[in-house]
Amino acid sequence: MLRNTFLRTLRDQRKSLFWWAFGMVGTSLYLALFYPVIRDNMANYEKILQSMPESVKSIFMANSQASLATADGYINIELFSMVAPILFLVFAIGVGSAAVAGEEEKGTLDLLLANPLSRWRIVVEKFGAMVVGTVGLGFLFWLTLFVGGKAVGMDANFARVAEATVSVVLLALAQGSIALAVGSAFGKRGVATGMASGLAFAFYLLNALAPMVKALKPYRKLSLWYYYIGNDPVMKGLKLSHVGVLVGVILVLLAVALVAFDRRDLSV
Amino acid sequence: MRPVIHTENLTKFYGKQRGVLDLDILVESGEVFGFLGPNGAGKTTTIRVLLDFIRPTRGRAVIFGLDAQEQSTEIRRRIGYLPGELELYEKLSGAELLRYFANLRGGVDWSYVEELAERFDCDLAKHIRSLSRGNKQKIGLIQAFMNKPELLILDEPTSGLDPLMQHEFAHLIGEVKSEGRAVFVSSHIMPEVEHICDHVGIIREGQLVAIEDIETLKGRAIRRLEIHFSSSVPPEPFANLPGVQDVLVADGILRCTVKGSLDAVIKAAAQFEVVNIISQEPSLEEIFLAYYGGGDHAA
Repeated sequence: MLRNTFLRTLRDQRKSLFWWAFGMVGTSLYLALFYPVIRDNMANYEKILQSMPESVKSIFMANSQASLATADGYINIELFSMVAPILFLVFAIGVGSAAVAGEEEKGTLDLLLANPLSRWRIVVEKFGAMVVGTVGLGFLFWLTLFVGGKAVGMDANFARVAEATVSVVLLALAQGSIALAVGSAFGKRGVATGMASGLAFAFYLLNALAPMVKALKPYRKLSLWYYYIGNDPVMKGLKLSHVGVLVGVILVLLAVALVAFDRRDLSV
Repeated sequence: MRPVIHTENLTKFYGKQRGVLDLDILVESGEVFGFLGPNGAGKTTTIRVLLDFIRPTRGRAVIFGLDAQEQSTEIRRRIGYLPGELELYEKLSGAELLRYFANLRGGVDWSYVEELAERFDCDLAKHIRSLSRGNKQKIGLIQAFMNKPELLILDEPTSGLDPLMQHEFAHLIGEVKSEGRAVFVSSHIMPEVEHICDHVGIIREGQLVAIEDIETLKGRAIRRLEIHFSSSVPPEPFANLPGVQDVLVADGILRCTVKGSLDAVIKAAAQFEVVNIISQEPSLEEIFLAYYGGGDHAA
């Protein structure tokens, strides 16, 4: 695990990754095992849900047409409209802002860069570790849902759930790449976390409010959140153009990180 | 002797704040170059330019004939570096950290790592977070020396080392030198490095004020001397001795400052019964004073 910076970064994160995995598995397992309770009292829940104002539904359910009446709708509302994105975003933003800025603030970057490594290589390896960590957590998340769901006889389309998981992983990586780019450009972990989290919240609100607020409507497509859930991946699957936007944003941000880090003075 | 480090008009400003100004430094193979100056003078700034951590505002640095900025990766392959503010990966053990850096360098002779650990009396199995500052410094030194680099750049290397380890360090520097490799070592404490250096450059407020042969520098040094006698002595024998200044005789104690050799004052003192001699090594500031012959530069 000490062959290169990519592996060493994952090694450094192993405890943190373990607890994240624990939390992700716990969350999706809990949701899966709770499903029979909802299913058996469906009529009541449905009534509550229908009585909610449109604006509340829009904010907390990502404007999905889903209903709790189906397993897919249950997963969509309970997991993908809020809980899963928050978990994945917090993880990826944390890892992304620590990637370069974390080492720089701790002061270990000096010694690392005394080795014959180019700066871009460090960014790429750190980015790779972020991708592997987030994708790994995504896989575990889906797997738990699949196994737990099957155990309680949940009649969901798990291929679609996998697509939604891919979508949330891509959203998280895009937001994590914002943190990576800001951290690479300024060397400040707090700034990176703050900017990425602030933008995440703004994207979320923009996507949620745009359908209702006329002035915001034309700007909905500026929100990364729109490309995550705008196509309703649990119900309709991934939309290639949306995936393309998220992947494109990730790659552009990676390029920004590479160039910005390569050009500036490192702080002491 | 080949040039190893060569800087031309090397200048670095942080915004409007002065880093270093027009440094011209030449370090050749087989040479130990001491880079001396008070804290904040620009020593670390210079070193960070050499490693391409920061970019010069003007001028350039050439190492092994390669441009320090354009060909930094190739340069860093051939150097060993110890930062002034050493921070290690706390989650690793000493051995793991060294393995990691060895891997990044495409492998090193591990038996040499073990030899270095033994010489510095350093337990590599321990986790770095449990190590004292001195022991961390030893790990830092081992990683700098382990790939037998052609050039060592050491920023305040002796800080935190006990005298025994400083001795071992000096020994190691001697070996490096005898193999024709070069060392660039910074310090703000002259006595810690003077015995290992061939040349020293003195930097003050970002500017190189002198590059001197170490013997010349010491010859010019001012030393504070205090001689205690068994009974009171007359001041006359100590007046007008060559190089002796600020003579003060009271209660059987002679206090004076001596420039260069102590010979005259010691011979004059020998006619009385001497109880004790206290000689203070000249500090860097005192060497500056010797250079400028007045207090106007004593910042």
